[in-house]
Amino acid sequence: MECKLAVSMMHDYLDDDLPGQQQRDLKEHLLSCPDCRAKFKELEQTDMLLFSLMHQSPGVSDDLVGRIMGALPPSRKERRFITWIKKHPALTAASVFLLVMLMSAVTLWKQDGQLVVKGSDLDQVVIQGDTVIVPSGKRVTGDLTVENGKAQVYGEVNGNVTVIDGSLYQASTAHISGQVKSIDQALSWFWYKVTNMFSDVAYR
Amino acid sequence: MENLEGRLTKLALKGDQRAFAELVELYKDKIYHLGYRMLNNRHEAEDIVQETFLRVYRNLDRYDDNQKFSTWIYRIATNLCIDRLRKRKPTYSLDAELGDQEGTDGYSLIPSDNVTPESELLLSETQRTIYQAIDELPVKYRSVMILRYLQDLSLQEISDVLDMPVTTIKTRVHRGREFLRKKLGPRL
Repeated sequence: MECKLAVSMMHDYLDDDLPGQQQRDLKEHLLSCPDCRAKFKELEQTDMLLFSLMHQSPGVSDDLVGRIMGALPPSRKERRFITWIKKHPALTAASVFLLVMLMSAVTLWKQDGQLVVKGSDLDQVVIQGDTVIVPSGKRVTGDLTVENGKAQVYGEVNGNVTVIDGSLYQASTAHISGQVKSIDQALSWFWYKVTNMFSDVAYR
Repeated sequence: MENLEGRLTKLALKGDQRAFAELVELYKDKIYHLGYRMLNNRHEAEDIVQETFLRVYRNLDRYDDNQKFSTWIYRIATNLCIDRLRKRKPTYSLDAELGDQEGTDGYSLIPSDNVTPESELLLSETQRTIYQAIDELPVKYRSVMILRYLQDLSLQEISDVLDMPVTTIKTRVHRGREFLRKKLGPRL
């Protein structure tokens, strides 16, 4: 056996990677070659020294575990929410859009407490403070809309009467030919705004 | 049967901090020793431990049950060490004098290791020679030798950690061992 091959086999032996038959071949060579014998001894001692000495290292600081645990990002539940968002960008965008819409709608709803009267024939209407009166004997042609105020109808209205955030009083003499609507819930208000917007757009 | 680490990672993934703390307890010393031998600096070794566990925590959901936890965490730690060594090298040389003051070089800027005189004495000449020799090894040999001798990994496990063919690992262990034998020669 050549010494070069023997050295390679020594390393394999130290790595627990030399089959039995070759171990015997190596041993045979070592018995006959003093140079290789010396080299094997050195390699084996290096190996053993490394194994025994590598394990002596200074210890970790006592507070290291605490520092590690303290540096961890906040609980995984929160992060799961974030990963969900990352996985569903379209849904997230849609829900954020809806949320913004809803918020602006709600702020609009609460915004003004001002009396708003809308209608095509407001000459017939009398306004006293926050009360909108259709006096008896008078006739309003077209729709009448009152926001943030009371409506008292004694006369005649040829159209719809809508009251938002307020109250409607209909006297026995009142005559309303169209629909009567009272809106004071956010949702129905929102619905009213949306349908109004669409019909506005449609009529323009 | 599931092993301890597998169970702990699952619990930690569900948000159990104590399970994660147990993983830290199991591996902190091993990772610290690995970092210490790779970088030869205590502060940096502790940084490595901290960074390693932070990465483990962040990537718990990517841990694959089929591979050993130790393989996974050693891979993270070794890569962090190699990154650090790579960054360290081209930016400055420790031996270069800083210029503004005579006799000050890069070494004076590194926080000194507070090795007590006692523990210093306990290091025999042979030990010091070995540690010095390991420090002189090129990084690609050093990482292999540390995994082999400090962490007692087999050639196959080292190849899994470093993601390199076993034959490459084998060659590196052989050459590394040969290098150290020559360094230690007179003391053997």
